[in-house]
Amino acid sequence: MNVPLNIDWQQILLHLLNFVILFGILYFFLYKPVKDFMEKREAEYRQQHEDAKNALEEADRIKTEYEGKIAGAEEEISAMKSEAGAKNAEERTRMLEQAKADAAGIVEAAKKRGEMEHDKIIAEAQKEIADIVTTATEKIVLSADVSKSYDEFLKSAEGNMKNE
Amino acid sequence: MSKKKRIVSIIIFFVLIVAIVTGIILLGAPRPHAETLPEVMRDAVLHETMKVNFFGLQVNPGLISAYTVTAILAVFAIIVRIFVIPKFKKIPGKFQLVLETLVGMFRGLAKGNSPEKNEVLSAYIFAAGIYIFVGTMFELVGVQIVTTNGASVSLPAPLSDINGAIAMGCGSYLFILLGGIFNNGFHGLFGTVKEFSLPLSMSFRLFGALLSGALVTELVYYPMFLSFGLPVIVGVLFTLLHALIQAYVLTLLVSIFYGEVSEKKLEKGKKKKKKNKET
Repeated sequence: MNVPLNIDWQQILLHLLNFVILFGILYFFLYKPVKDFMEKREAEYRQQHEDAKNALEEADRIKTEYEGKIAGAEEEISAMKSEAGAKNAEERTRMLEQAKADAAGIVEAAKKRGEMEHDKIIAEAQKEIADIVTTATEKIVLSADVSKSYDEFLKSAEGNMKNE
Repeated sequence: MSKKKRIVSIIIFFVLIVAIVTGIILLGAPRPHAETLPEVMRDAVLHETMKVNFFGLQVNPGLISAYTVTAILAVFAIIVRIFVIPKFKKIPGKFQLVLETLVGMFRGLAKGNSPEKNEVLSAYIFAAGIYIFVGTMFELVGVQIVTTNGASVSLPAPLSDINGAIAMGCGSYLFILLGGIFNNGFHGLFGTVKEFSLPLSMSFRLFGALLSGALVTELVYYPMFLSFGLPVIVGVLFTLLHALIQAYVLTLLVSIFYGEVSEKKLEKGKKKKKKNKET
């Protein structure tokens, strides 16, 4: 088969056969294993990336949840604080009222005791006056010196007053 | 990959090999001996005199290069598969990084140009890119082989042989065609056939680029005074640049065309709906 440029169909096919064999060998022994390894590694890293992303999302979710909880707790604390404040105020008012009532009682009791003391003193004084008067009267009657008795009476009364 | 898919792909792989072997046997009619030409350049282009015996067939040295490169790559791949890949770590070492970068680079190229279907494409351009690069670099090794007429010849890059370049170019076109049909049915077929000049352009781009490198190197080597020291720089630089550029260009072209023909066309109804929404 004479073709210009020394082209030989048989040799072309031999070259083609050579290349097909080479293609097969390179594909099965070199290209495919390397490609598979690279794909496997890529899939692994993609999976890791995915896992990390999921973990991050989960962490974010938990963070948001806890932030919500903390905000709730702060609100609760402030509510409890205000409640405690109100209770304190109420207690204080109650204690003040109690103290006032107690004080009023004490004052009242003191007044009563004072009055009683006063009455007692008055009664004693009256009794003493009566005694003095009786004594003086007796003395006057006995001495019959009225002006002297009168003076003695006055002195005696004055002395009693001073003693008191 | 499911078990069924794996079985199907293995069957396709072996059917393909059997078909090509059958073709080789059927087309292997005895050819008349090419006439002898004295010019080195002409022989570098046409390989008319320098034939090598390959299991009883008279072939160009480029074919021997191709099978040698395949053998080297196969041994390398098997060693890597057995001893290196099982020890791969999550944080790659230097060699693992090189392998991963290679695979990742071709996958990225395939994904970038064919976002919908790119699994087979990335495997194909991985193999094609490595074959073109290693094959081209292989000529630097300068393995000597004895031709049928008793002369010694240095093994060239497989793709500087026009048959190798045509196989690569047409094979890539065939791959794009199959990708288009499998992924996109009639649209894919039509889209690929529309680019009928593609196999020709891809084949001759490879052939021309690699051969020109070889020819320029031959020219530089030809005068005695230039063949000391200079080839170390010129040869290595030219070969390295060709290897990289051609591997990149072919894989990029295959990706672009594959992406184009395997792209799903929007139905007319959907288009109308879109237009309505826009208005």
